[in-house]
This record gives sequence, structure tokens and C-alpha cells, in this order.
Amino acid sequence: MSHTASTTAPTAVPAAAADVPPPGGAGPTDAHRAKQAMRRLHRTEHRWAAAFIAAPVLGFLVFTLYPLGYALYASLTRWNGLTAPQFIGLENYTRLLGDPYFRQTLWNTAFYMIGIPIGLVLALLLAIALNRKIPGQTAFRTIYYVPVISSLAAIAIVWQFAYNGDFGLVNQVLDWFGVDGPNWLQNTATVKPAIIIMAVWKGLGYSMLLYLAAIQSVPRSLYEAASLDGANAYHRFRSITLPMVRPVTFFLVVTNVIAGSQIFTEINIMTPTGGPEFSSASIVYYIVRQAFRYQQMGYATAMSVVLGLIVFVVTLIQFRLNRRNSFSID
Amino acid sequence: MTTRLPRLAALALAGALALTACGSGGGESGGDSDTLTFMFRGGADEKAAYQAAIDKFTEDTGVKVEMTVTDADQYATKLQAAVSGNKVPDVFYIEQANLQSYVASGVLLDITDQVEEAGVDLDNIWEYGVDSYRFDGTLQGTSEGRLYGLPKDVGPFAFGYNKTMLEANGIALPDPDVPLSFDEFRDITKQLTQDTDGDGALDQWGTGLNVQWNLQSMVWSNGGDFVNEDRTEVTVDTPEFAEALQYFADLTNVDGVTPNASEAATLDTYQRWMAGEIGFFPVGPWDVSVYNDLDFEYDLIPWPAGSTGESATWVGSLGIGVSATSGNPDAAVQLATYLSADPEAQQTLVDANIQIPNLKDVATEWATAADAKPANRQEFLDIVEDYGRAMPASFTYGAQWYDELWVNIQPVLDGKQTAADYLAEVQPKMQALLDESNTNAEMAGGGA
Repeated sequence: MSHTASTTAPTAVPAAAADVPPPGGAGPTDAHRAKQAMRRLHRTEHRWAAAFIAAPVLGFLVFTLYPLGYALYASLTRWNGLTAPQFIGLENYTRLLGDPYFRQTLWNTAFYMIGIPIGLVLALLLAIALNRKIPGQTAFRTIYYVPVISSLAAIAIVWQFAYNGDFGLVNQVLDWFGVDGPNWLQNTATVKPAIIIMAVWKGLGYSMLLYLAAIQSVPRSLYEAASLDGANAYHRFRSITLPMVRPVTFFLVVTNVIAGSQIFTEINIMTPTGGPEFSSASIVYYIVRQAFRYQQMGYATAMSVVLGLIVFVVTLIQFRLNRRNSFSID
Repeated sequence: MTTRLPRLAALALAGALALTACGSGGGESGGDSDTLTFMFRGGADEKAAYQAAIDKFTEDTGVKVEMTVTDADQYATKLQAAVSGNKVPDVFYIEQANLQSYVASGVLLDITDQVEEAGVDLDNIWEYGVDSYRFDGTLQGTSEGRLYGLPKDVGPFAFGYNKTMLEANGIALPDPDVPLSFDEFRDITKQLTQDTDGDGALDQWGTGLNVQWNLQSMVWSNGGDFVNEDRTEVTVDTPEFAEALQYFADLTNVDGVTPNASEAATLDTYQRWMAGEIGFFPVGPWDVSVYNDLDFEYDLIPWPAGSTGESATWVGSLGIGVSATSGNPDAAVQLATYLSADPEAQQTLVDANIQIPNLKDVATEWATAADAKPANRQEFLDIVEDYGRAMPASFTYGAQWYDELWVNIQPVLDGKQTAADYLAEVQPKMQALLDESNTNAEMAGGGA
């Protein structure tokens, strides 16, 4: 329905506007008629406004609210995805509380979040470095951005090779320094760090680009004034750059946490069985496994609902914290 | 349609962002009377063989067939998406473990009568293959149930050895009729495990087995099992089971006759076997086309046997089912029957070395062929007819209880935990999941 509204609107709106009497032409006797014309115009405009608003609202109702409501309902049912769901109350939720794999995958997912601060610090440092006039600046920016636009599935496979214990690139490099690298993806202690390293590498370019834009929009005059006052490079970074890029940091933290809580593809490709003793399985990996391997659609939906709630609450807290710390310059 | 939409949407939500891979469904539902849709899975060899067989079908019957082929690991997801989207292909592969839920959901057509009318001689097809797709509402795999599919093939999982390597090491070739005992097997594999080039690292091993695919044989031949006969009780905590698992783990940790965990993880034993570094290794019918091109001679023998002295192994099977909502059920059943039981179609598929014949008479001829390679093809047939069993989770409602066994088994394989301790620990968890699956089966059966 959004399609019809948007295609007919441009031709119709000027036609409605033609009803408006030319300005200044309306004498006192025409006042009544003018008011009527005005009202007619408002009515048509309102109608079009409503049509425009209806498109996203209907989209939201049909593609977001309705599925969300249905998911809430489905989470209270026993449902295999094929037959009609059967209502079982809160059974899925009580089962979830006692499910060690649910706790473990939730913990694994939280563990992956360690990569977020690491990634942001590296990205900021890189952005500062690439903001200087160095030869090959554009080439470097491109190189760091390439992983961002590459297919995640392809990257996961390449890193899987790189992490191979015997002939993988990572251990070959470590070998030059006399370090005997572990079998990264087969070891409960190293599999999560291995995936974090990959995720940081993959996301670096994107964060860097946003930081670069933020740094470049900091007014030069602030730095000049600070220099005149005797601030050194560290002070300028600490008191000007860092606060000025805070909105970007906030944006990146929020989006990274939301995306990170849904980490799946790299886990599924690099450790198809969920890693040694399920040590790399993320919560979404576990949900997909329950839904599509074991046809436990109801239980999987209940876990999705809990995950959604957790993400919602965490994001809310972040907004609260950000408001407390926000500031503005005149 | 109206009831499908919300379910489909919720389905998408359940998987959050992860499900982009499942978007495309199968073929169109067959409204067109002279075109059927057929969804299956397999590699390039399999696709070519099926294309040839189906071209012949179209030539004979005038019925066109539109084929959709997927990778093996995506098949189940794609089929489920097709079902949810109300676009069930007319004819499709069906896994043993999913049969019950698809029957309960009314997706699969009961083809008992049509197959009988078509005059298919079911007695000439492997009993295990046919019975796998029978379901009487409570138990699957018994000979009384209604027929919801025909076997695409049966997959006996045989044991093989590298003949060239054994001969080079002066070891007497194992008897194709008498299984080795666990002790004999250990002794031979110990002799084979060597450092042949003297660089201080082993480069030839007696064997290299995968716990998920090879433990069954050892457990069964040792008198243990995974579940009781009516599939209500998990029986992995018996001494027989523990002994078999311990033997399996000790082959690596105590006897050292397999590549160790990290060696196996880096270049898996399948690759090492094909490189001629491993003495004994499993052979499935689907491996034959590849193994026949290797640089060494190999042959088949019965699996080493534990305390019962009798070999045991599993037989897999994949079925061909017909959609209950097919627009042309007669032609669809005809296609399923053709692929499973037509002698000419079977010949095409068997010649491609991707499966053993479904028909007993064709199989006997095939096994005794003078140029048979491997020479002891008969072992495959012995497994199907005699000592092969269904995988433990084939006939239960879902396999979650069974998968649980493997999740935390690594410490046992690494020698950090004894088999008995681990099995005592995992049994209650598996039992809870099996109970859950049986409850689901009842509810699905009642709700349909």
C-alpha cells in the first residue's frame, strides 16, 4: 500500500494546491468563500498526510507489531513450526531458567562483548592516525574499510583457515617469534578470544570511518585556542577530541551491543557444532539450533523474547547514562 | 493463507537476523498437472546421476520435472521454509528422524495404496529401507505402519582397510567373514602406527575414528545400546556402554594408534586415510566413487567386535516422500516409485557409484560382479540384511537427546575423564530430553 500512495501523491498534490485563490485577490465579500477553499485544501492535505503516515504505520503494524505480538503468543506455546501451536502457559520460560545451555550461551554472548571497547579504542587511534597528512592516506583508509564490505560468510571461512592449529596463518606468524600457537578453534580457552579478534578486525573500518568524520568536524579554533593556552597534545585529545566524538562513541556502543547480542554467522561457520563443549555457541546460535534442528519453535521463540528484553533494557540503561553525561557547547 | 502469515512472520522473528539464508523456499506447489517439482540434496555427482534418471522418466511418461537441489546441510532448513510458506514440493527427500513430525503435520501423503496398486514388489526392496518410512501413529520403523515414503537408498556404514599398507607391513589380511576382536584390532593397529621417514614424528597410524559416527558399532557389538526398545529410556550408563567408549578413547590416549586430537583436528582422519596414512577406516557406499581413485588398494571387512563377538554397525537411509497437497499426486507417486524401485533408474544411480542398489536382485548381481571394487562389496549387503541397525535417534521424535551425548564428550576423548563418570553424568540430561521429545510426539500426534 505504500507503493500506491507514493506514486500518486506527487501528481495529486499540485492539483489540490491549484484550488487556492491567488493571494490578495480575495476582498471582504470573498472572505467566506476563501475560508471554505482553505478548509477544502486542509481536508485534501490532511488526507494526503494521512496516506503518507499510513504507509510506515501500516508497515510497522504488519511487519513489526503483529509478528512481535505473535512471537509473544508463540513463546507461550509448544510449537514445532508445522502444526498449530498449543498453549502451555509459561512452561517455556520455566524450562529456560533451568536450561544450562541457555545460561552458557548467554554468558558466551556477553563474553563476546569484550571486543566492543577494544574495537572502539583501536578505531579511534586509527582514525587519529589517518587524520594526519601521511602518504598513501586514502589507500590505508580503503584497506581498513575492505573487511567491512566483504561477505561475513567468506571472512569467517578465511579466518577458520587462518586459525588452523597446524598450517594456519596465525600460528605460522606466531612461530616466527618462537611461540607455539594453540589450536584456536578446538580449545575452550582460545575459541572465544579467536572469534573476538576476528570480529574486531571486521568492524574496525566502520568505526574508524565514523570517528574520522567526527574528528574532522571538530572546529580547528578549539585546538588553536587550547594551544595558545599551553595545552599539550594529550590535553587537547583528552579535553577536546574525546568529548567532541562522544556522540559517535555512544552511537557505536549502542549499535555494537545490539548487533553483538545477535552474533551468529561467524559462530555457525567457524564452529558448526557450537565449539568444544559448546564454548563458542552464542544465544542466537542456540535459538536457531532449537528452532530449526529440533523443531522447538515455541521454546526458541521464548528465548528470543528474553533476548529481546535484555537488549531493550541494556539499551535503555545506555541512554540514561548518556543523558547524564551529555553536554553542549554554545 | 491468513493463518500462515503470522506464523511465518514469527518464524522469521524467532531467528532474529540470522535467517537470511532460509529465505528462498522450494519449488512452486504443483498446480500444473504435467510438471512436478522435486527437491533433493547432494553434490555434483549426485545431481548429474539424478538428472540422467529423471530425463528418462520425462521421456517415458511425458511428465516434466523441475528439480531443486540444495547442499546437504541446508536441506532440512530449506524444506521447512518451503513447508511454512505453503510451497511444498511435489516430491522430496525426507529424513527418517523428521518423518513423524511431517506425518503429524499433514505434509506427507500416505502412499500405501497407490504403491500397492502400481504393483511395486516391496519384498524386493530392503526391508529396513521400506520400514523406515512406515509409521503406525506410535512407532516408526515397524512393518505394520502405513507407508509415507520409499527409500531413496540405504547407506550401510562398512569398515575398510588399506590393503597396500597391510601388505607392505607384512600383516596378514583380515578375514572378510570373521570379525576381529577388540584386542586383535588393537594389536594390528599398534603394529601399523609408525614413523616411516624417521623424522621423529608419527606419519602412519593404525586407525582414526570419529566418535559420532563410529562409537555405535563398538557399543552395540559390546552388548550396549543408547536407548531401550520402546525408546523411552536412555541406556548409556551401562557397564557395556562405558567399556566400549573407554576402549574408543584409549585407542588414542593409551594405545596411541590414532592421530591425537590436535593432529586430527588439523588434517582430519578422512583426509589422512585418503593420503594413505591410515590403516583402518570406515567406508560408506557414498565414498566408493572417491575411494576407487585413490593410490592404494582397499577392501571391506566386518567391524571389530566387542564382548558379543558379533559385528554391528548402522545403516542410514534417506526417503522419498510425496506432498499431501500435490496438485498431481498420481504422477508424484509415480516419480517417487520410479526413483526408488525402477530397475533402470536404479542402474543409472548405482553406475554413478553413489549408492548401493535398492532392489535385492539387482544388488546380488552387483555384489558378485567380477570387476567389483572394492572386491568385498558383499559386506555392504550383509550389513543391510544382517547386522546393520538404525541410528539411535532415527525413529525418535527429534534427535536432541542423542546430540546431547556428544556435546561434552571431549574430556573423555582427551583422557581427562573416565567414560563411566561421564556417562553417569550425561544420562539424566539425555533422559530429560528424551522425555521431552516423547511428550512432543504425543502432543503433535494428538493435535494433528
